[in-house]
Amino acid sequence: METQALVTIIPWTFIAQILNLFIQMYLIKRFLFKPVNDILAKRQALTDKEINEAKEAKADADKIREEYEGHMQGAKAEAAQIISDAKKDAQAAADKMIKDAENEAHDIKVKAAADIEQEKKKAVNEAKDEISSLALDIAGKVVEKEINEEDHRKLINDFISKVGEAS
Amino acid sequence: MNIEINGAKIFARFHTGIPVLGDFTINETLVVSWIVMAVLTLLCIYLTRNMQVTNISKRQAIAEMLVETANNFVRNNTGTRKFDRLIPFVAALFATSVISNLISLTGLRSPTADLSTEAAWAIVVFIMITTEKIKAGGILGYMKGFTQPIPVMTPFNILSELATPVSMACRHFGNILSGIVINGLIYASLAVASSAILIHINATLAQIPVLDVGIPAILSVYFDWFTGVMQAFIFSMLTIMYIANASEG
Repeated sequence: METQALVTIIPWTFIAQILNLFIQMYLIKRFLFKPVNDILAKRQALTDKEINEAKEAKADADKIREEYEGHMQGAKAEAAQIISDAKKDAQAAADKMIKDAENEAHDIKVKAAADIEQEKKKAVNEAKDEISSLALDIAGKVVEKEINEEDHRKLINDFISKVGEAS
Repeated sequence: MNIEINGAKIFARFHTGIPVLGDFTINETLVVSWIVMAVLTLLCIYLTRNMQVTNISKRQAIAEMLVETANNFVRNNTGTRKFDRLIPFVAALFATSVISNLISLTGLRSPTADLSTEAAWAIVVFIMITTEKIKAGGILGYMKGFTQPIPVMTPFNILSELATPVSMACRHFGNILSGIVINGLIYASLAVASSAILIHINATLAQIPVLDVGIPAILSVYFDWFTGVMQAFIFSMLTIMYIANASEG
């Protein structure tokens, strides 16, 4: 078979090899670089997206925590308010109860005093009556004579009332 | 014993009648080049099949690694991202060169064992270098560059400018051709040596080149594998370095 010289440049081969090199460049670009670079770009985009999502999630979490802390503060204040209100109410109720009791006790005391006065008066009156009738009886027995009972009674009552005033 | 080392075989010849260019021949260089291109393209398609964004396969990891390596190679050697458009070109140059050099291991003749191939690549690189230089300094700046540092240096500067593609092409070609020549010599000499040893046992046995089994494979680690990868690397490296330098003016 015919062979070419060992060291030579064949013009057509030369031209063909230039074209081959550029065709090869296109093929490598089309079948290796383009798909790989596409995938790398996609991966980059995915990574960026995930980082952004993580950032957003963190911001959300922070917001929720702040809200929660705010709520907690509110709840604490509310609880303190409720407790202080309850204390106030209890205090007021207790005060009222004490006051009522005092009033009642006072009323009872007043009534008791009035009753005692009443009883005393009654007793004094009864004693007056008793004494007067006793005195009449005694006097009747002493004189053995029925004096005018009406005059007698008047006399004795005067005496008793004088005694009562003096006592 | 005679050994013969020939150029690429010519499979078909078409008479064109165009002067200078001469006849168009379908030769071993072109056919093997097409095989190399097919291998490379199929490899690319195979590696980038079913690519996923996450949970990637080994194949995809290799494809991504190759692209990253090419990107880093160009970016690190130029120091900028200005030449990113050259990445596919440099990658194609390197890949074609490596596969062309190593395809000789399968028994095919390397396309790079034909000076036409390297000359074609070197001319493309030379045109790129010149374009970059003109882009950086304008036509006048480019012309003026030849008279630096003193006008007397002009012929030498022109010579050194032309020497760039010539040296690139001849360096690559010479290394591959020398590999072929040395391999041929080794095979022949080992055949002679084995027949010289076996002739003492039997005349027919002496026809079998026993020593040709194994020993050339060890030597081919250097002459085919090392040289093949090294020359491809040097060629791509010089390409990117020359272009980067050219753009600096």
